Amino acid sequence: MNTRFTTRRTYTRSGGMHNTFGDFICLHCHNFVSAEMSLSGVHNRNHCPYCLSSRHLDLFEAGDRLSACKARMKPVALTLKRSTRKYAHPGNGELMLVHVCEDCGQVSINRIAADDDNALLMSLAAGRLEDDLRRLLNEYGIAAVGSDEIQFVKRGLFGLN
Amino acid sequence: MSAFRTTEPNTGFVTKKSTNTYHIQTGEYSLACTLSTRLKRESDGDPVAIGDFVRWNEAGQLTEVLPRRNQLARRAAQPMPGSYAHEQVIAANLDQVMPVFAAANPKPAWNLLDRYLVSAESAEIPALVVLTKFDLVDGKPESAEILSIAAEYRAIGYEVIVTSAETGLGLEQLRAALSNRLSIFVGKSGVGKSSLLNALEPGLGLKVQQTSQLTGKGRHTTTHLEMFPLTVGGAIIDTPGIREFGLWDVASDDLALFFPEMRPLVGACKFGLGCSHDQEPGCAIRHAVNAGEISPYRYQSYLKLKDEQL
Repeated sequence: MNTRFTTRRTYTRSGGMHNTFGDFICLHCHNFVSAEMSLSGVHNRNHCPYCLSSRHLDLFEAGDRLSACKARMKPVALTLKRSTRKYAHPGNGELMLVHVCEDCGQVSINRIAADDDNALLMSLAAGRLEDDLRRLLNEYGIAAVGSDEIQFVKRGLFGLN
Repeated sequence: MSAFRTTEPNTGFVTKKSTNTYHIQTGEYSLACTLSTRLKRESDGDPVAIGDFVRWNEAGQLTEVLPRRNQLARRAAQPMPGSYAHEQVIAANLDQVMPVFAAANPKPAWNLLDRYLVSAESAEIPALVVLTKFDLVDGKPESAEILSIAAEYRAIGYEVIVTSAETGLGLEQLRAALSNRLSIFVGKSGVGKSSLLNALEPGLGLKVQQTSQLTGKGRHTTTHLEMFPLTVGGAIIDTPGIREFGLWDVASDDLALFFPEMRPLVGACKFGLGCSHDQEPGCAIRHAVNAGEISPYRYQSYLKLKDEQL
């Protein structure tokens, strides 16, 4: 799978970071994806809302577009971002999508966008994670949301308690 | 400079170029010439470049440019997008190109450096990178980053000389590199090309200015191209600051050949010479970038230049 960006990256080592997240066509599901913030609710559109696939483009930091790997990043799990609030309720952190590169195994965590396919997100939370994958995520310090924490996912997606 | 001596009558080489006037050195003499109408008509831009061997007539007009050994050219700045672009030869018959970058004030533009290097590679002229104003960052955190980037370019095979016209750092090394060669300083306005020349040859007294405090950019102090003989032998061409450097006569398919670290891998991809090294599976160059053998920044420069050339 490849994703073709209609807006090219504009990162330069001397000029620093510029806006690098543009509209793109997901070559996995072939849908056009708009980076318009009013649709996605996020500044940085980094995965397809229809199939949740991403692409390994960043190397050192989000948006630098310095990776030459460019392979598909497959959505594998959901996780909860740790809350910085000391007395926060369990499961109060932001729901995040975990991607793993199909070529080099790089793991990245991305914000869920407002127009992401909720059914796919729910299926990721309800699905069972393979042992190898769980071990890989543990190496990165990522605790995947399991089926026993599905209420946190519902609350994150639909606002239900 | 012995290569610049000529025994033919009415021939010499161009040592200074300003609007409509060309200063020619012939033996011990120097004379100012203009362009003949025929030469003007034959070319879109300026047919004569500094370093050119030329022939003139009794009226002091340049009538012929003798064949060049090499030339450093860029795409001439376009007055408006979409207008006709033509070649602008900056200098000819060079022994080396010296891209000059300031360590700070103005900040080094590394992607511009890659442009100069590709241009020099395509013209088959050796390049040597000069970093000036190192005294401004010495002992500060930025110096480590600049030195690590310099090490990256050295690893590729380019010589990098870190200098300071203030403290004299690297000047002896630079003199040795300039000795008995015709070199050219190229770089953005305000990077310290003329200051470096003044430090190398104290008698020159070239005009220099501080960079603008408001914009941090240079003030375009040097406005013409001029060649200066050096006491160590050889000569150096000082140029006005170049803000844009569009590649000329570099085909996008050949671009990887002008990146020395990518050159050995061209043709080793799954799709052979048909690979554009961007998205194709089994690309040897992308694989080398992932393996840390090629700098991701250089690879980015390659993609950016490739986009422009398409």
